[in-house]
Amino acid sequence: MNAYKETLPESVSEMLGTVGLDDEPALMHLATDLLPNRQFGRQWVVVTEKRLIVVPHDAESDIVVVRMDELAGVRTEEVVGGGCMALDRRTAGPILVAYTQSLIPRFAEVAEGIRRLSKGKALSLPEEVERERCDACNRLLPEKNGICAACIRKWQTLRRLLRYLTAQPWRLASVVILTLVSTVLELLPPRITQHIIDDVLTPRSNFDLLVWLVFGLLGVRILFCVASVVTEWLSQRLGHRGVQDIRSDLYRKLQFLPLRFYDRRTTGSLISRMSNDSDRLEGFLASDMPLVVSKMLLFVGILALLLATNWKLALLVLLPIPPIVLGGSRIWKRVMRHWIRWGGRWSRLSSHLSESIGGIRVVKAFAQESRESERFDKRNEDLRAVTVAGERNWFVFFTVTNFLMSWGVFLVWYFGGRQILGGEMTLGALVAFISYLWMLYQPLRWFGELYNILLRAFAGAERIFEVLDSRQETGNAEDGVRLPRINGRVEFRNVFFGYDRGKPVLKGINLEVKPGEMIGLVGKSGAGKSTLINLICRFYDPDGGRIEVDGLEMREVCLEDLRSRIGMVQQEPFLFDGTIAENIAYGKPTATFSEVIRAATAAEAHEFIVQKPDGYDMKVGEKGGRLSGGEKQRISIARAILHDPRILILDEATSSLDTRTEWKIQKAISRLVKGRTTFAIAHRLSTLRSADRLVVLDDGKVAEVGTHHELMSRQGIFHRLVKSQQETSAVMAVGGGKVET
Amino acid sequence: MDSSYKDGWKPTPIDVTHPQDVDTASIRLFHEPAWHLRMTIEGDRSYLRVKIVRAAPLSEPDRYICFLDANDELICMVDDFHELPAAYQDIIREELARRYLTSRIERVHSIRSEYGVSYWDVATDRGRREFVVKNVGEDARWLDEKRVLILDVDGNRFEVADLGALDKRSRGLVEMVL
Repeated sequence: MNAYKETLPESVSEMLGTVGLDDEPALMHLATDLLPNRQFGRQWVVVTEKRLIVVPHDAESDIVVVRMDELAGVRTEEVVGGGCMALDRRTAGPILVAYTQSLIPRFAEVAEGIRRLSKGKALSLPEEVERERCDACNRLLPEKNGICAACIRKWQTLRRLLRYLTAQPWRLASVVILTLVSTVLELLPPRITQHIIDDVLTPRSNFDLLVWLVFGLLGVRILFCVASVVTEWLSQRLGHRGVQDIRSDLYRKLQFLPLRFYDRRTTGSLISRMSNDSDRLEGFLASDMPLVVSKMLLFVGILALLLATNWKLALLVLLPIPPIVLGGSRIWKRVMRHWIRWGGRWSRLSSHLSESIGGIRVVKAFAQESRESERFDKRNEDLRAVTVAGERNWFVFFTVTNFLMSWGVFLVWYFGGRQILGGEMTLGALVAFISYLWMLYQPLRWFGELYNILLRAFAGAERIFEVLDSRQETGNAEDGVRLPRINGRVEFRNVFFGYDRGKPVLKGINLEVKPGEMIGLVGKSGAGKSTLINLICRFYDPDGGRIEVDGLEMREVCLEDLRSRIGMVQQEPFLFDGTIAENIAYGKPTATFSEVIRAATAAEAHEFIVQKPDGYDMKVGEKGGRLSGGEKQRISIARAILHDPRILILDEATSSLDTRTEWKIQKAISRLVKGRTTFAIAHRLSTLRSADRLVVLDDGKVAEVGTHHELMSRQGIFHRLVKSQQETSAVMAVGGGKVET
Repeated sequence: MDSSYKDGWKPTPIDVTHPQDVDTASIRLFHEPAWHLRMTIEGDRSYLRVKIVRAAPLSEPDRYICFLDANDELICMVDDFHELPAAYQDIIREELARRYLTSRIERVHSIRSEYGVSYWDVATDRGRREFVVKNVGEDARWLDEKRVLILDVDGNRFEVADLGALDKRSRGLVEMVL
């Protein structure tokens, strides 16, 4: 079903029949989820090429039909928890269509569609419709296009997970064999005790046999201990290795995914896939799964033994199993809820801690030390209460399940005792029976939880596999045109682009840039400067039109070749947590140390670097936190110089530095841009002057092109921008200084 | 707060030029044309296309009502709009109802919790609605002991105004997940 062509209910079709739609195919027909009276309900909107129809939801209102040429405009307004599409008519008031937050993206597209139709253009709707409900079970999905936790293809996911284990066949095989061995070893001791009781203690003879049996018992114990240690060790290695592979695959994939993928998700949710989900898998593959498998084997083994020894008694023993499983899983749920709550309280306490310690200056400055302590005490108290409640539940869990298990033992003592008296069974067999019983019941209390453990692990695996299955950036070495050398000619031909369809940022950009030319991009914020630069780096592909590099369409060029020829100096340079030298050489790891120094010197950075105690070996800290803004900028310039790109992108910092640093940076930049095709988002007048041409962007279009002088004399947008900037800086100079008190 | 002003201490006066203190008696609200809200401050100026918002929608929904002009700049704030004539109060109420689409949960039909995601089926003051909450720990916000605001996956807002006032079964269901 198409989200823009929903199935019309009969009453609506009937209503539409009255306006005669026979010869006009409906291009869009869909319902809102909010009525004009703001009750939940479906109000139908039908759009054809020539008309727009709003079907009333009740009998009292009239059907509204508007011709497309009557429409003056389409607006969408967002309110708290919803939105509203307003269709302005030339002759009457606007038609308002309300919807909740859920339908805002869809109606943004609808509004854009109507806008296009009213201007006589063809309708275009996004091909990729976001899935809101699970295709299989129709549940609402927790994330758009996300996975339905209830409908995970469990076996497929498990098979795929296991593939990471079967990649280590020897280790896997030895784990399986050792698990079998240790299961058998675990089953032996009660059998031996049975012999001790029946063949030694009951007849009160056979001392030699006793010695042998006790040694046998000891031997089995020792073997069992060795086997379980080795199994544990091997299965840990197996599981951790598997998760290591998964994590590597995931990280590699994340590096090669297009930026659009990142736009649609928060960094937090991606990092959580990397850390939480893979943690969960780690726990599952390394601990839970081996445990589950060995417990299952043990369960089956014991059951077989019990049935073989005395099937009547064995059947009796099965009676308490349902209450143990049910009761166990029910209390377990409560226990888990308390643990979750405990986790919440604990994180609240620790966030309070990091906040108040981090903001200790503010706390002291406002003299709030004792209030902070009181708040801490309150949270501390909360934590204690939850911990105690959690422990209590834990205790109840053990007591109750133990009690339930003891029922089986009562039954066995009673009926088994009767069988002994009747001579049907030996004492040893009874004692062995009871030992097996405890072993049988122990894992049972977890069985109710087993399914959930599996599902949680599968959900984590599925989320990771979803990323692994996403499409990579196109333009690999195999299918792209190799471009070892670039002259640096860049052409934009009628380029359209928007991060969201329906909200174009660039609306038909045409621009030719000669090799080695420096272009200054000017315009108000939101005019599309940064977007243009994102397209040059091919972080995104244009929605319409084409961008050419040296006459080749950018999309066809090998991405690696292209990016290795593009350099970037960002507004807020991002440095990695490493040494200064490593950061300068980031784009060219093979650079020699003297090359690094040369680049730093050209970037006017050498001087300040050598004054640092560790010089080039200084650690810059996270995101370069230990360096000042001007220092970071010069390091990023050095990085670009060493990278030696043919096309350079310069995103100038808006914040001003002291004059001397500023002058140095200007000098470094002027060295850097020489001979390279440069696109500079310019704020500083000096950069604007040195640009060969200035391109003024306004509302996603190229408004003016020319040299600084030409544009000033034209008295257009650029002139106004410069004037207002001068006025602002004049105001700042007068009133922005220190306030005397 | 008041305790810091003891011993005859008075807060240092601060001059605020914006928002202006507007005499509530001089406010005129009317629709002209019928689909635009217009506001005139008598003897001063008039604004087309006025927007009305709450300064603190959660803690003070009925007080501190702000009037914004077409550029979203503040025209003025009315501390208590009940001081205004009844006709204006109706306009304000209507505008606020249009702007704030939080639904009040009156009864809970069911809440299923699966793998950390909860699926709610509730009766609200706007009718019945199903929604999904991704993470009840993060997306439910306690406003006080009995009042909770829940955001669903799309950002729709649902409020339980008073947990104690819900019927027993609904309250049990809510307490199970929150």
